[in-house]
Amino acid sequence: MAELLLDSDIRIWVFLPIVLITFLCGILRHYVSVLISTQKKVDLTQLQDSQAMIRARMLRENCKYIPEQSFLMRRHFFNNDDSGYLKTVKRTAASQHITDPNMMVEMLKGQLTNMLPMIAIGGWINWTFSGFVTTKVPFPLTLRFKPMLQRGIELVSLDASWVSSASWYFLNVFGLRSIYTLVLGENNAADQARIMEEQMSGAAMAMPQDPKAAFKAEWEALEIAEHRWALKDVESDLLQKAEVEWSGSGQSYGATS
Amino acid sequence: MATLDLDWEEVRDQLRAWREDNTRHSEEVVDTWEHCLKHYKTKLGDERWMVEEQVFVAGLDCNRLDIADPCLMALNEQFPGSLRVRKLRAMRFEALEKFDEAMEVYDNIIRQDETNSTARKRKVAVLRGQGRITDAIKELTEYLKLFMSDSEAWQELCDLYLKEGDYSKAAFCMEELILSNPHNHLFHTRYAEIKYTQGGLDNMEIARSYFCQAAKLNPGNVRALYGLFMSCTQVLSSPKLSAQKKKETQQLATWALKEVSERYSRCRTNTMDGSKILETLGALSITDKA
Repeated sequence: MAELLLDSDIRIWVFLPIVLITFLCGILRHYVSVLISTQKKVDLTQLQDSQAMIRARMLRENCKYIPEQSFLMRRHFFNNDDSGYLKTVKRTAASQHITDPNMMVEMLKGQLTNMLPMIAIGGWINWTFSGFVTTKVPFPLTLRFKPMLQRGIELVSLDASWVSSASWYFLNVFGLRSIYTLVLGENNAADQARIMEEQMSGAAMAMPQDPKAAFKAEWEALEIAEHRWALKDVESDLLQKAEVEWSGSGQSYGATS
Repeated sequence: MATLDLDWEEVRDQLRAWREDNTRHSEEVVDTWEHCLKHYKTKLGDERWMVEEQVFVAGLDCNRLDIADPCLMALNEQFPGSLRVRKLRAMRFEALEKFDEAMEVYDNIIRQDETNSTARKRKVAVLRGQGRITDAIKELTEYLKLFMSDSEAWQELCDLYLKEGDYSKAAFCMEELILSNPHNHLFHTRYAEIKYTQGGLDNMEIARSYFCQAAKLNPGNVRALYGLFMSCTQVLSSPKLSAQKKKETQQLATWALKEVSERYSRCRTNTMDGSKILETLGALSITDKA
């Protein structure tokens, strides 16, 4: 098959504009989201709960390093039926979280800065620059890459390493991350890939944490936690190690003398 | 001053490292700022404000208000209405010993942002600065009811209780620290020391175990080794000990003593001068990072 030769006008009027447009849109999105985002207010009780949970977890994991008496004392503080922290602190159920108007506004803002421009610009690019073969990746690819790299061009005979304009746009959207960090610094809002990741895992994260359920789980875990003092045999351990060292050093002295 | 011809990028990195480690090095910060970095403010970019904050605190530490004030001014201009800058202004009040004004500012900050932990901590610091230890303890316990897993606060509370001589409560705080970082030998040493000070056979045996653990975690911890020897001799002096335990304790004591004396003899042969000994002792202070 004869080698394809691209018109250099494609480079100037399709290839570079797409790069430029996606890049500038990212920058714009960053500043818009900085402009409209509000600082997240943390609730004091929420903070207290999470700190208590961390402390309870640490107690559970590292309890073997403190004497048994101390462990029992702390467990009493958390788990006692009448006065334990995990038992007595009443938290309202989390359902009010979803109807919380602040939360809704936050979500709307996120959608506004992330999804809308992506759809609008993607659509516009698809419409304006449709049907161009823009560039070629410098290595051979298998046929399976065709739907990924040649969106908008359905040619069976075209080699898979050619990239269409629509695909070039998507490659840019997801591939400009390091350029953005270079220009805007870490943790910028322009990074499309990070946002997508967040939306994937968002379902789990946005699920309002129900403190009641979390407390109950922690209570159970603490209840069955067993105290095995790690320092019980530390003296004999140390002595044994010392003996080994003594005999070892004794031998080496013997060898040198 | 030798800092005159320092490379400003190097200085910036050094300051950044100190910031990240939470160590103050106030005198060095003031020096480098005065002789080098001051002239490169604009080159720092966004980092400039963090540096100005750091220099401001360092200036207060060294009582160099002539250094601190311009920084505060610049920060105030850049971030009007910021709580963080307001906290700095309160710290300036503290440095001038206007404690009531400082307290008022902190209270205001807390009213505006309930979750602001630094303002609450500063309040404890103010009380401590005034020498009102019991009030500081009260304030700090209130703080810890909300921020339970703040190990820095637990450490401070332990310190305050030790100042008051309330050893059992100090031991409780130390246990909390051990829970948060069970591999820090300094915490183990300190805990053992507290238990040793409390006295009694049970406490002495716990102290012995924790000195052992500290010596195991860091064989170079001479303080733990010496403490181990001391606690072993104390345990041995008790009449209620079984023969087998007695033998083991005896062995431990001899081992610890041997280790310590070996270390001393090595130091002597290495012609250690006074400054180095101080350095070694400093490395064992609990405030250092392990």
